[in-house]
Amino acid sequence: MITPAPIDEFALDVRDLRKEFKGTVAVDGVTMTVPRGEVFGLVGPDGAGKSTLIRMMATVLAPTSGDALVFGRSVRTEAAKVKPRIGYMSQAFSLYRDLTVKENLEFFAELRGVPRKEMASRSAKLLEFSGLTEFAKRQAQFLSGGMKQKLALAATLISEPDLLFLDEPTTGVDPVSRREFWRIISGLHRQGITVFVATPYMDEAERCDEIAFMTQGRIILRDTPAGMKRRVPGRVIEVDVSDYRAAMPIVRALPFSTSVEVSGEHLRVLVSGECENCEAEIRSALEGAGLAVSRIRPAATDLEMAFAALIPTATLPGRDDAEVLAVAE
Amino acid sequence: MSWRRVRLLIWKEFLQLKRDRSMLPIIFIMPVLQLIMFGYVIGTDVRDIRTAVVDRDGSPESHLVVDGFVNSGYFKQVATPTTDAEMQKLLDGNKAQVAIIIPEGFSDSVHAKRATQVGIVVDGSDSKTASVASGYAGQVVASLSRQLYPTPMSSGAGGVDARVRVLFNPTLRSVNTMVPALLAFILMMSTQMTMSQAVVKERERGTLEQLFVTPIGRAEYLIGKLLPYVLIAAIQITLVFTVGTIWFKVPFNGSLLVMGSGLALFALTGLGIGLMVSLLSRTRYQAQQAMTFMMVPSMMLSGFVFPLESMPAVLYPLSYLIPLRYIVVIVRSNFMKGSGFAALWPQFAAMALFAAVVFGFGLSRFRKQLND
Repeated sequence: MITPAPIDEFALDVRDLRKEFKGTVAVDGVTMTVPRGEVFGLVGPDGAGKSTLIRMMATVLAPTSGDALVFGRSVRTEAAKVKPRIGYMSQAFSLYRDLTVKENLEFFAELRGVPRKEMASRSAKLLEFSGLTEFAKRQAQFLSGGMKQKLALAATLISEPDLLFLDEPTTGVDPVSRREFWRIISGLHRQGITVFVATPYMDEAERCDEIAFMTQGRIILRDTPAGMKRRVPGRVIEVDVSDYRAAMPIVRALPFSTSVEVSGEHLRVLVSGECENCEAEIRSALEGAGLAVSRIRPAATDLEMAFAALIPTATLPGRDDAEVLAVAE
Repeated sequence: MSWRRVRLLIWKEFLQLKRDRSMLPIIFIMPVLQLIMFGYVIGTDVRDIRTAVVDRDGSPESHLVVDGFVNSGYFKQVATPTTDAEMQKLLDGNKAQVAIIIPEGFSDSVHAKRATQVGIVVDGSDSKTASVASGYAGQVVASLSRQLYPTPMSSGAGGVDARVRVLFNPTLRSVNTMVPALLAFILMMSTQMTMSQAVVKERERGTLEQLFVTPIGRAEYLIGKLLPYVLIAAIQITLVFTVGTIWFKVPFNGSLLVMGSGLALFALTGLGIGLMVSLLSRTRYQAQQAMTFMMVPSMMLSGFVFPLESMPAVLYPLSYLIPLRYIVVIVRSNFMKGSGFAALWPQFAAMALFAAVVFGFGLSRFRKQLND
């Protein structure tokens, strides 16, 4: 028998949660806690088990073993007490496409027992909040990707949950809408709502209070974004070079480089700590191969670099670190 | 159990239905279209069968025979060949479907009150028409023989069969048997189809998962989902019944209570099957395929189109597994003969069993379905 945690301490208290699907282990014994009021990010490659983990915590999928306590209530035995306190936004748009924005909001409000007299004011507030007021009478299927996600968020917020589960809420959404979506999440954070969000985007992970890295059904790292970066041994050097493709194997072959990535217009090289003169060595190696180096300078570690350096490649199913980052980006 | 939530689901379902441009015509036009198709096209009535007459006797009596055939309305004289070869050619070229051969000395035999024969050749390549034509021909000959031999030589065997059919369907209009069965068939189509599509659609689109994060209970969801389709099915049935009795002038000799309760029980089975299919299918396409797969045996093995008696003995036991089989018997006998619960209780019992099993299975699957 699992004893409940003090109600006020954690929004989420996950205890050795497991899920098997016909012999495949999707979630392999996850144990973790999420304090109240945090924005908690879950990152990891496709197939890591992120969605399965979230669906179990959101009471839509029964665990094979273990348990998750949401505000001290078990998702296994007290799901009915968990549901009113949570909101869940699945990866795919899952509202009624053929109902209008307003009808969707009203439907989920009514279903979740929002008092009738509050309905109008709440839905007006949420429409305003998500910038959907002028689209209230439009059917959901005719909204843009970003608007759809905002509507889905609004529909989960209408019952004023204390904990929000967001499963890759901005996947396939344009950058402007993504920024706006995160502005809304920041607003929720200020209201004290706990947000648990799975995201493939490192810039979004950067905005979380804490992040956990999940792969092969396990959480293998957990820290604040700054803490993640501090864990990385060495420093990052940014190189602008004429041919990135040709440059990568050359830099990778240097003894002090631990990781090499192309990021935007730059080649980013993680070098081990004791290297003093490596800028010059990188330059000479590249120029020796006939490549033109236009700029070389020290740079800050980012989360992509951090994960590439911190996650042992062996834990990733048939991928190398470059692919992890491709997934993460 | 909250009626507020059930009502909400029903409201939502109708709202969606109203917006679904492909669904509405299907719901209201399909039944009428089927009625017309089954009433007119598949109807087993065969009229104006192209007939060649070979009259080798040429007597008033032989003319009486030919007139008997033509006046029945089923046969239409199209040619009068004089030789067998000529007749054969007509049949081979599909110019004639039936040939009537009156042998020489026919009138002499009649006058002498000796037994005689009329030859009837039927083109068997269209087995349906052939069997109908030979049936009609038998009847015509039987009635002619009563006319030609006022004092029967022996008890005419053909008359017995004809008299049975005359009792309940005097004009032998197949539409009279088709319309009642169609009530059941359309009910089956609409409950199974719409139900299987409705749940699987919610599943496919993820809305079902979203619903399960809300306090809605499984019973509330099911009732909210079933009721709209029950209502639609009721409207369809009424539509078919009205068109059937008014337009097709099918006489209704039964009781609305008996027929209504039979159809209600059958609707439960249909909804249960639809629910089951939707829970076993991942996509709407799969659900559709499964329904089509089940539709063929239902049509073939239920006695809806083809009589159960004409089924091969090996397949016959399978017909007991087809729910449509029982309801077809109920609606037909009630509609035409006014049979009541006393006569139809085995069919009612079988359908109750089906409804219980199918629904029970659907419910237990529904409990587990989100777990994998």
